Amino acid sequence: MTSAPTPLLAIRGLHAAYGKIEALKGVDVQIDAGEIVALIGANGAGKSTLMMTIFGKPRARAGQILYEGRDITDVPTHEIAHLRIAQSPEGRRIFPRMSVAENLQMGADATECTDAEREATLERVFSLFPRLKERYVQRGGTLSGGEQQMLAIGRALMSRPRLLLLDEPSLGLAPLIARQIFDAIRTLNRQDGLTVLIVEQNANHALKLAHRGYVMVNGLITLAGTGAELLQRPEIRAAYLEGGRHG
Amino acid sequence: MTATPHETTKASRTAGIPFLLKTAFINALIALVLFSLMVGIRTEAGSDGQLTYWARFGDVAALVGAVFGGSIVIELLRQWIGPTGAEKLVPPSVQSGMSFIGRYLAPALLIFTLLVPVIFYNQRYILDLAILVLTYVMLGWGLNVVVGLAGLLDLGYVAFYAVGAYSYGLLATSFGWSFWICLPLAGILAAFWGVLLGFPVLRLRGDYLAIVTLAFGEIIRLVIINWQSLTGGPNGVSGIPRPSFFGIPLDNSDDGLAAKLGIEYSPTHRIVFLFYLILALALLTNWVTIRLRRLPIGRAWEALREDEVACRALGINTTTTKLTAFATGAMFGGFAGAFFATRQGFISPESFTFQESALVLAIVVLGGMGSQLGVALAALTMIGGFELFRSLENYRMLVFGMAMVLIMIWRPRGIIGHRAPTVYLTKAQVISSDLVKEGHG
Repeated sequence: MTSAPTPLLAIRGLHAAYGKIEALKGVDVQIDAGEIVALIGANGAGKSTLMMTIFGKPRARAGQILYEGRDITDVPTHEIAHLRIAQSPEGRRIFPRMSVAENLQMGADATECTDAEREATLERVFSLFPRLKERYVQRGGTLSGGEQQMLAIGRALMSRPRLLLLDEPSLGLAPLIARQIFDAIRTLNRQDGLTVLIVEQNANHALKLAHRGYVMVNGLITLAGTGAELLQRPEIRAAYLEGGRHG
Repeated sequence: MTATPHETTKASRTAGIPFLLKTAFINALIALVLFSLMVGIRTEAGSDGQLTYWARFGDVAALVGAVFGGSIVIELLRQWIGPTGAEKLVPPSVQSGMSFIGRYLAPALLIFTLLVPVIFYNQRYILDLAILVLTYVMLGWGLNVVVGLAGLLDLGYVAFYAVGAYSYGLLATSFGWSFWICLPLAGILAAFWGVLLGFPVLRLRGDYLAIVTLAFGEIIRLVIINWQSLTGGPNGVSGIPRPSFFGIPLDNSDDGLAAKLGIEYSPTHRIVFLFYLILALALLTNWVTIRLRRLPIGRAWEALREDEVACRALGINTTTTKLTAFATGAMFGGFAGAFFATRQGFISPESFTFQESALVLAIVVLGGMGSQLGVALAALTMIGGFELFRSLENYRMLVFGMAMVLIMIWRPRGIIGHRAPTVYLTKAQVISSDLVKEGHG
């Protein structure tokens, strides 16, 4: 990938900790506009922490997070969503007693957009995930796992983000549904120019989808490269791809 | 609990008997342990002040027997008409009837409420009771914002009721300000205290929040009792002015409303005025809540109840969201308190005990958290029922405890458990009717 003069998101020497436990120990990640970047690694490597630190919870102890060249390291959590960064958190976390329509509306509430823009975004979400349109009057909690994931992504898209952070979108999903989700992400990237940072345990899927990838071990980035390169690396194959995972 | 899936009634009975006996036996055993000391041994101070006691085996045996029999009856009732597969047993005609009632119940109740003073004009007792019920409806609706919508368990709601009541009581008696000036002030002061409570509990949820709010309710009451120079302590505040009809007093004087309208004075006028006053306040609470639910702030409250982490990820400021929920709920509590003060003419700390908080919370939970109609129905049953069973004297709490347990068994989400969604697609969409039904489930 050709790198733009200012990357959309640049993370430099980021440290974060939960109490005394250091979760990030100097992470450097760069995401250019229009890219899909995958972040892979084992459980507890700090992938989700990195994603949450971008949102300021937990706060970075050291290092910088630059978004479009602007330092957002100390911006309050609730204001980050207004910068058109959206997050689909781990475990989906949709609002179970609220309807699908309300869940989607929640995504749009935090951003200032006109009714027409909101309608257009909603139509876009429905065209990506027609199931959500079928189910828009249902309560979120009555959806299947895959539909809930679609709703979580749809809800994040409602804020019309430039950068979408996806935490484990294929977690607990049937392979076929996971493929649909990944297809939708690819479509969003190609047609809408959405930049995506995706955290995944399913390294094979994620690296095939992504332009570039980072491998995280114990709070540090140990490898970086294009998706295809990383897929070929023997240590990646040994650590994340073989060992029972098929596909 | 009812682990026996029954295809036919006969099968369930044969499979259920050992289970029934086991449950009943366990319950009887618990009753035995409880009652053996509470009832089984009677202690009294003897003639010389010494302790005398004797055992009452018969009473214990009767109680344990009653528990044994009672738990069999309850278990049987649960198996036959309980929630397991109950929906299929309701015939469609009854279902459509229920939905018809559901649609017209709220308007019908409202029209009836508006007509109460006309129908029961000469029955002071019923009018007083109706005012009391409406006060609790309003308190329930106010607390509903905090507990039902925002999901913040508040056990100290009575504190805001007290702040409202004392605000009006003290401002009116000290400065002679009229009710209509003090009413908004009482609301603002209560909201201020709501925010004050909100700040320290921002990071708390669930049980921990409940404990702190419980303590807050007690603190306010204790401050009122002990700050004698301001609040009069346990003696309370008396001589609180009655409300006026926008400056025109409702009394027998020449300036009174009756004299101005040229009609004969009757003390019922004031009662009817109070009735419509609390009705207007309650409806205001309801209207504001319904409006807020459709605005981003109301949706944020509900989302906060569902998932706080997701809220933050969506750019919701959870701090202000929680504080506005506390403030809004407290404000309505303050209005209700000001009304209480003007109705009674006398307030004392005794009116603001934890029991009031518990009662209002019970109304919200029984009514179905978040449901406006459910809260109104629960207030009506709780307060109205309290009066209805007055003749039962000591047993009335027992009856109530039982009724609450039964409601929670059969309708664990409250009388009206379903919540209406607030967002629809703007364009009318053609969708099959069964999809819509599923959504309301």
